[in-house]
Amino acid sequence: MKLIKDGMAKLSFVALLVTVTAAMFYAPTASAHGEKSQAAFMRMRTIHWYDLNWSKDTVPVNDTMTVTGKFHVFAGWPETVAKPEVSFLNIGIPGPVFIRAGSWVGGQLVPRSVSLELGETYEFKVLLKARRPGDWHVHSMMNVQDGGPIIGPGKWVTITGSMSEFKNPITTLTGQTIDLENWNIGNIYFWHAFWYAIGLAYIGYWVRKPVFVPRLIAMDAGKADTLITATDKKVGIGFALATMAIVAATMQSTNEQYPITTPLQAGLLRGMKPIEMPARTVAVKVDSATYRVPGRAMQMTLTITNNGDSSVRLGEFMTASVRFLDPAVHEDDTGYPDDLLAEEGLTVSDNSPIAPGQTRTVEVTASDAAWEVYRLADLIYDPDSRFAGLLFFTDEGGNRQMVTIDAPLIPSFI
Amino acid sequence: MSASQSAVRSRAEAVKVSRTFDWMIIFTLFFVILGGYHVHFMLVAGDWDFWSDWKDRRLWVTVLPIMAITFPAAVQAVLWWRYRIAFGATLCILGLLLGEWVNRYFNFWGWTYFPINFVFPSQLIPGAIVLDVVLLVSGSMQLTAVVGGLAFGLLFYPGNWPMMAPLHLPVEYNGMMMTLADLSGYHYVRTGMPEYIRMVEKGTLRTFGKDVAPVSAFFSGFVSIIVYFVWHFFGRWFGNTAFTTGS
Repeated sequence: MKLIKDGMAKLSFVALLVTVTAAMFYAPTASAHGEKSQAAFMRMRTIHWYDLNWSKDTVPVNDTMTVTGKFHVFAGWPETVAKPEVSFLNIGIPGPVFIRAGSWVGGQLVPRSVSLELGETYEFKVLLKARRPGDWHVHSMMNVQDGGPIIGPGKWVTITGSMSEFKNPITTLTGQTIDLENWNIGNIYFWHAFWYAIGLAYIGYWVRKPVFVPRLIAMDAGKADTLITATDKKVGIGFALATMAIVAATMQSTNEQYPITTPLQAGLLRGMKPIEMPARTVAVKVDSATYRVPGRAMQMTLTITNNGDSSVRLGEFMTASVRFLDPAVHEDDTGYPDDLLAEEGLTVSDNSPIAPGQTRTVEVTASDAAWEVYRLADLIYDPDSRFAGLLFFTDEGGNRQMVTIDAPLIPSFI
Repeated sequence: MSASQSAVRSRAEAVKVSRTFDWMIIFTLFFVILGGYHVHFMLVAGDWDFWSDWKDRRLWVTVLPIMAITFPAAVQAVLWWRYRIAFGATLCILGLLLGEWVNRYFNFWGWTYFPINFVFPSQLIPGAIVLDVVLLVSGSMQLTAVVGGLAFGLLFYPGNWPMMAPLHLPVEYNGMMMTLADLSGYHYVRTGMPEYIRMVEKGTLRTFGKDVAPVSAFFSGFVSIIVYFVWHFFGRWFGNTAFTTGS
């Protein structure tokens, strides 16, 4: 019996080793940023990114591209997420595959955090310079202090060339032009090697003599005082004095070499300029909204009032960066990511033009696999079962008007 | 050979075994300290040591020596009170720096491609040598804590300045002034680190004008004294062999 047990134990151990070893050979590429895992209500009710444009699909190393667009800071911001009073316009890329050569909100450079107002819409632009070859998913992204990252839509961009050719020239205010990619690296290696050598020399002094056993025996025999000699002390003092002298001298020489230096810069940027949106002429009331789980479709009953002087049609519903379009009204020609675009995903019971002054109640259905793929259907498991999004109406002149909606959502399981 | 006979048969053999034992212990001790101290330091000093745009004249100067004097104090206690060896602090710092460099080079640069000039570690060797020498010369825990601890805090900033100064050159960038270190932080995208997380230039030391680094260094030195005492006692407790008495 014992033999059998021992045999099973050995086999189990071997199986464990084989499993662990086999697992090491499976290393799939991480190809996105976990955006689908972010709670659906956060993507639907915080920052709405729209009119996004990635200027290029393929960029050579050292070349630049831009990500531009607008974001609406939703007025019905969820109570459970900190308000965007301290926010940072980031870019969702896998590390520094691009460098962020510039980022702007409302025309203002934003290398630091900014304060955003609820209900406002801002224009943004991020200038990226290609650095590391590969296929990268490039997202717009807003980090909110105590709220977390709020990631926007992502698009695949290819960088070609070789990273060894990457250059990042910068001219300082002291008139020096340097390459930030490798500036100061030799100096850093030198000083670390220099001090490491001194540290090793100090230890080397001690380990040239027997270290542990004879000393332990002497300590136990009460001869501790004999273990530190006058020479040891003199050598130690020499090391200490030399250390302090070198530190003082190198500090002095560094200050002479770099007489002008400034402290790190930090601080919150306030007063970001929002887009001055034209007065809304279309009013929308959500009478009811249900999410039909088996059909992967959201059905809304909307009462739309056109207070403008041109008839309008509903062309798009956008939530959590997924766009549902009625192709009879609006077609996308911006190269928006396919997986986020339901080109025929919007159905309106009566989408004939709504005349000025007219009020109409319509049934609107937004259906697409994206509800599942992007895990928006998980909204029904949220503690505050509400949805939000943007409706885009198009008037006779082709002008678009954005209207926000925010309402409770009732799931339907049959 | 009976169990009561020695394994060595001559003094020469005993010396040889003793030296072999020395190298084995030093090698093992170095890498054990490297592992433990490195994890400790990454957890408590973390970003202040990872990124050049966190290395400011207030918090970096204050936090790092306080968090770094811990293991040196403990290891010094073990090596001094049991062996009268005065290289505990230096051994710790060399271990820490090797671990940091392995991490920065293979992880930060090799895997994620952040330039080394943005992610190099701070160096703490001058303070460690002085800490060891004060213990060597004085043989006193109190003096080592007070004089050595203060020196550990004071030497940190000037010891790193030759590497940091070139990164504090000012640059005008799209209408804003920043240092090259700030610009590195802006250029080399850290998706998981928004700018507001960066804790630099915060605090109330506003009455010293631009000369705030020495004040921060003194404060760091004072707190290092207290931390030294605490960790020295950790070391003495950890290094005791009371549990073997009578065996």
